[in-house]
Amino acid sequence: MSNPSVDAARAQAAKRKILSAYDEPGTHEEITRRTFMANATLAMSGIIGLGLAIPILGAILPHGGEGAGTWAPLSPAEWKSLQQATEKPVKISFTLKSKDAYLPAESIDEFVWGLKTTEDKMRKARPDLFTSKGAEVPYPVVNMGFVIFSPICPHLGCRFDYSADQNKFLCPCHGSQYTREGAHIAGPAPRGLDPLPLRERSGTADVTWIRYAQSTPSRIVVSYTS
Amino acid sequence: MLTWLEQRTGFVSMVKDFLTEDIPGGASYWYVFGSATLFAMIVQIVTGIFLTFWYAPSASTAYESTKAIYDNAFQHAVLSIHYWGASAMIALVFLHLLQVLVWGAYKSPRELQWIVGVLLFIVTLVLGLTGYLLPWDMNAYFASQVAINISGTAPILGPFIQRLLQDGPVMGTLTINRFFGLHVWLMPAALVGLVGAHLFIFRHNGPAGPPVEDPRPLRPGRFWPDQMFMDTVISFFVFIIILFLATFAPPFLDQKADPTNVTFVPYPAWYFLALFGLLNIMPPSLELVGTILIPTVVIIVLLALPWLDRSTLRTFGSRAPILWATTLVVFIVVVLSIYSQVSIQAKQAAAAQNPVPKTAAAAPASATAVANNAPGGVAAGGKVFSTNCSSCHGAAGAGVPGAFPPLAGNPFVTGNKTQVIRVVVNGLHGQISVKGSTYNGQMPAWKGNLSNSDIANVITFIRNLWGNKASAVTTADVSKIAK
Repeated sequence: MSNPSVDAARAQAAKRKILSAYDEPGTHEEITRRTFMANATLAMSGIIGLGLAIPILGAILPHGGEGAGTWAPLSPAEWKSLQQATEKPVKISFTLKSKDAYLPAESIDEFVWGLKTTEDKMRKARPDLFTSKGAEVPYPVVNMGFVIFSPICPHLGCRFDYSADQNKFLCPCHGSQYTREGAHIAGPAPRGLDPLPLRERSGTADVTWIRYAQSTPSRIVVSYTS
Repeated sequence: MLTWLEQRTGFVSMVKDFLTEDIPGGASYWYVFGSATLFAMIVQIVTGIFLTFWYAPSASTAYESTKAIYDNAFQHAVLSIHYWGASAMIALVFLHLLQVLVWGAYKSPRELQWIVGVLLFIVTLVLGLTGYLLPWDMNAYFASQVAINISGTAPILGPFIQRLLQDGPVMGTLTINRFFGLHVWLMPAALVGLVGAHLFIFRHNGPAGPPVEDPRPLRPGRFWPDQMFMDTVISFFVFIIILFLATFAPPFLDQKADPTNVTFVPYPAWYFLALFGLLNIMPPSLELVGTILIPTVVIIVLLALPWLDRSTLRTFGSRAPILWATTLVVFIVVVLSIYSQVSIQAKQAAAAQNPVPKTAAAAPASATAVANNAPGGVAAGGKVFSTNCSSCHGAAGAGVPGAFPPLAGNPFVTGNKTQVIRVVVNGLHGQISVKGSTYNGQMPAWKGNLSNSDIANVITFIRNLWGNKASAVTTADVSKIAK
C-alpha cells in the first residue's frame, strides 16, 4: 500500500509542472497548432450555442396574432333587456365562442355594459371619444340609441361594477371611478371606459369583442378575440 | 476505507476543506442569516419538485389539479409547507440583505458577492410572483393580471414584455405554461447557479465579521461543528415555524378564476404590499413613477452601492447617512405595507356589504372578502364550503336544476337551525322539494369527515351568504346533534 502523503506530494509537484508549462510559449509549430485548436474549440462551442439559442429564442417569442373581429350575437332575451334600459346602465350577458390556444374551443360567458343614450348626450359627456387624438374609436359610439362599454377597466384590466346608489362605475382593484357615460372621474385610470361596436342583426343585435391596451391614454387595439 | 475513497475521488479532503473555515471571532449566531436562507431554499426545492408530480399546468387543469392537491391530506401538507416556506425564504432574504447593509459587509473586496446577492433577491421575488399565478383561482388570476399589465406599461419595451410574459394577446393557458416554466425550471436554475457563485465567492473572501473598530482575529478552522450547530439550531426553528403555520394557517384555494367577476378585490402577497401601496398613493399622472421608476431606481442603487459608498470604514459611527437611509427605507416599506393591508381589507369589507349575485357567474367575491363584517365563523365556513360543498351546490349556492338543490334563497337553509344541522351531520336521502322543483339526490353524512366546528362554520356561512340572513350556528349546537 502506498503512502498517501507521498502520493499527494507527488501529485502537487506534477500539477506545478503542468501549470508552469503554460508560461512557456513553445516552438512556433506548437504555437500555431495550439492557436488553431483554441480557435476551433471556440468556434464549435459557438455553433452549438447558436444551434440551441436560435430555436429556443424563436420558440419563446409570444404566440398569437391580433385575432380577427368576432361579432357575438346577443340572445333575444338580452336584446330585450338592453331595450328596456333606462338612464341606468344594464349588464348584458352573452356567450362567446372562444379558443384558448390548443385547448378545445368552448363557449364562455361574457358581458358588456349597455346605456340608452343619444349621440348628442355622448358628445357632451365624452368629448374624448370624438375629439381626443388617439382616444377616438373608428366606429359609431352610439348605435340604435345605445352605447356599449367594454367590461374591462382601462387601468390594469380588472372588471368594474355599476353602483346604483352612487350612479357610478366603480373598479374594485385600484378604485377608479367613471360616470355612467364612462367618463373618468377618480382613481388612477388614464382614460374613460372603452365603447364597443354594436350592430343590428335580424331583430336582435351583435356586439364586437375588442380589447384595448391597458393604462394608456390612447385606445390601442390589443385583440379582437377573447 | 476513507483513504481508499480519498485516493480515488479526493472527496474526503474536499469535505474536510469545506468543514474548516476561519471565522472572525469564532462561530456566532450573527452569522446564521445566509445559511437559514439557504435552508429555506432547500425546503422550497424539495417540496416544489414533488408538487410537480400532482400539478398540471393548463387553463383546464391548473385549478382542478390544485384542488386535488388540497383534497389529499399529505399533498396539502406539502403544498402548505411550500406556501409558508416561500414566505420564510423571502423574509430571510430581506433580513440577510438588511444585515449586510447595516454591517457594511458589501464593501471591497466583497462587491461581487453583494451583486450576486442582489440578483438572488430579485430572482426570489420573481419566484414568488410566478408561483402566485399557478393555482389559477380568483386571486391568482386577478393579481397576476394586474402584475402583467403593470409590466406592459413600462416605457418602450413594456408591450413586448407583457406579450412575452402572457404569451399571446390575453392571459390564458399559454400564460400558465410560461409561468410554470419560469417558476419551476428557469428561475430555480438561476437561483441554484447564483447561490453556487455566492458561496464560492464567500469562501474566497471569508466572512466579513461584525463592524467593529478592531477587526476580530480569525479563529482557525471549526465551521463544523461549531458554526454548523448554530446554523442548524436556527434552521430548525425556521422549520418549526413553517410547520406550525402550515398546520394552523394553511393556504386557501378560492373559486376557479372567473374573468367576468366584477367585485373581486385581488390582494398581493405580503412582500409586494409595499409596491401595491406605492401604486395606490401615486396620482394617475405619476403612476409609472410608482410602478416602474422607483423599483428600478432601488435595484440600481442596491447594485451600485459598493461604488456609491466607497469608504472602507465599517463602524456604525462612520456610516450614519447610510444607516439613516436604510432605516428610512425600511420604515417606508413597513408603513406602505400596513397602509395597503388596511385599504385592501376595507375594500373587501365594502365588496362584502354589496354582494351582487345577479347570475350564477357573478358569485360572491370570495369567502375571505365576506369575512370582515359577517358573523364569526363565516370566513372559516367559506373555506369548508368551497372545499366540500361547492362542487354540487355551486360556488354561488345556486345548485344544479334537477340534480342538486340551491342553498341561496332556500327557506329550509335559513329556517330552524337544528334541522339544517341534522341534514349536514346525518345526510339526506329521498325526494325533497325546494322552491317548486323536486330533487332526489344523495346528501352525504359529514359527521366524521368534518369536525363539529367546521360543520358549525359552514352552516353559518350558507345561512348568511347570497342574500340569506339567519342566526349563526355554534359548535355547541352541532355537538348536541352529532354527539
